[in-house]
Amino acid sequence: MRANRHWRGYAWAAAAVLVCTLAGTAMQPRFDVVNIAMVYVLGVVIVALRFPRGPAIAAAVLGVATFDFLFVPPRGTFTVDDVQYLLTFAIMLAVALVISRLVENVRRQAAAQASLAVEAETERIRSTLLASISHDLRTPLAVMAGASSSLAEAGERLSASERRALAQSVFDKAREMSEHVAKVLQMTRLETGAISLQRDWVSLSEIVESVLARLAERMATHRVIVELPHDLPLVRVDAMLIEQALGNLLENCARHTPPDTVVRVRAAQRAGDVLVTVQDYSGGLRDADFERLFAKFHHGAVEAGGTGVGLGLAICRAIVRLHGGNAWAERVPGGGTAFRFTLPLETAPAVPAEAPAD
Amino acid sequence: MPDSRATILVVEDEPEIRRFLRAAFGAEGYRVVESASGRRGAIDAGSHKPDLAIIDLALPDIDGIEVIRQIRAWSPMPIIVLSARIAERAKIEALDAGADDYVTKPFGVGELLARVRAALRHVARANSGAPHLRLGDALVDLQARRAMRGDVDVHLTRIEFRLLATLARHLGMVVTHRQLLTEVWGPTHVNDTHYLRIYMKQLRDKLEADPVRPQHLITETGVGYRLLADEVRADDAQRALSNP
Repeated sequence: MRANRHWRGYAWAAAAVLVCTLAGTAMQPRFDVVNIAMVYVLGVVIVALRFPRGPAIAAAVLGVATFDFLFVPPRGTFTVDDVQYLLTFAIMLAVALVISRLVENVRRQAAAQASLAVEAETERIRSTLLASISHDLRTPLAVMAGASSSLAEAGERLSASERRALAQSVFDKAREMSEHVAKVLQMTRLETGAISLQRDWVSLSEIVESVLARLAERMATHRVIVELPHDLPLVRVDAMLIEQALGNLLENCARHTPPDTVVRVRAAQRAGDVLVTVQDYSGGLRDADFERLFAKFHHGAVEAGGTGVGLGLAICRAIVRLHGGNAWAERVPGGGTAFRFTLPLETAPAVPAEAPAD
Repeated sequence: MPDSRATILVVEDEPEIRRFLRAAFGAEGYRVVESASGRRGAIDAGSHKPDLAIIDLALPDIDGIEVIRQIRAWSPMPIIVLSARIAERAKIEALDAGADDYVTKPFGVGELLARVRAALRHVARANSGAPHLRLGDALVDLQARRAMRGDVDVHLTRIEFRLLATLARHLGMVVTHRQLLTEVWGPTHVNDTHYLRIYMKQLRDKLEADPVRPQHLITETGVGYRLLADEVRADDAQRALSNP
């Protein structure tokens, strides 16, 4: 792509010289040769403003050569009668160099400013992240410290069922913490671009299957209904990441809707993509909230006391976007929220037909 | 139980993790040999001849995968790796290097014990001929290449059988995409994962009660597949297959 842009610069340089030449030819009967030189200078300035140094110098050299050949007496040769014109050439070249240098400086400053803005954003994310981590880890840590110290100090005075319950809660909270830490790490990796997609042909049906198996315990409070068309095409995605994206949507629904309500998982093939929908029946969201849900570390994560609330959806969106799709939420008629994401479709290579079995 | 009193080698540098593994395995009647480093582990595997090895992939001295390679150079003992969540690709590499199964840290001992039992059963089975498998209401005779669902014969294609047989050879354990593609389609097809998706779907459609939520042909996302099935005594299976 870089090489392509370079090429374009040189093409524009040639085009600019051509335009100047046409203008010069039109001007020639009535204007002084020095004024025609000015037209070339203007052309060089424009090229130097738009493109890097290479095309600018090319425009200057080409401009000087054309100008000399067509307008400087004796015409039709590269010979120069008057030494004055050498100065014209030198000035045109100098203009090209000075302008492209100036433009380069401006570009560099703009880039520096942009990277400053990125740094500020990173800093903001980092502090929100820390706030969210410390909140979401403090509670389970407190439970683990309390439960395990009870076991260590008073283990023999506790009944077997009490001991078991305490140990179980240490285990549960440890798992919860580990999930949360994994999410934070994942978000950081997505934010910093440290993740490279391992794309492969994947069946969404298998992804749904493995998400539901992984989240079986957590989704046990809800009625999950899966509706997948039998002829859903394969998608070329990073299976582990899409599994996470879908899992995060499901967890989010389970966390924010009352027990025993329905969560629907659907997928549909559309023109150029597959639309995956996880729908719950909460109905409690205002329109303005839909975008905020997917924002990085939106404040629900810190205030509402849920674990990693904002993180899950933000990760989902980051993963889906990395695949060239999009993720959003919308209200559905009849109450409930649909969390949707799309994955671009590619044509899967054919699987050779099997010779008829013996 | 043949697997109780089996010796398990634990190659893990974290003493706290070794401690709870020792407690958990001890409580189940297994004998435990502990190695705190990869090099030590490779040596202990040779001198103690354990029935199964558990290897942490993140060891301080040499890579856990290297330990697997060293053990695999001379022994088919089942190997289960402990992998970190952040290094998901490493477990695939470990499985392709010869590990039989994995558990992702942090894990509950229940999960690890289940994997250990499946792996030890696998060894016991290796000496007892081709199995008949029951997958819910489906019954499969891998040797005769016959499958039935209830009273009805189910036709499986040659590739479907080969795929099922490959999974059955590692019953209860994970088989990577690479292994399946190599064994069923040949080494030139290791990247043709879409073959697997299509044929696994066909197998599920034929053998699973609910193909969308399979109970037997299980997906291990990004890694491979796992077959969960009951082995059936040959004579019981014969009776079912011969008298529809």
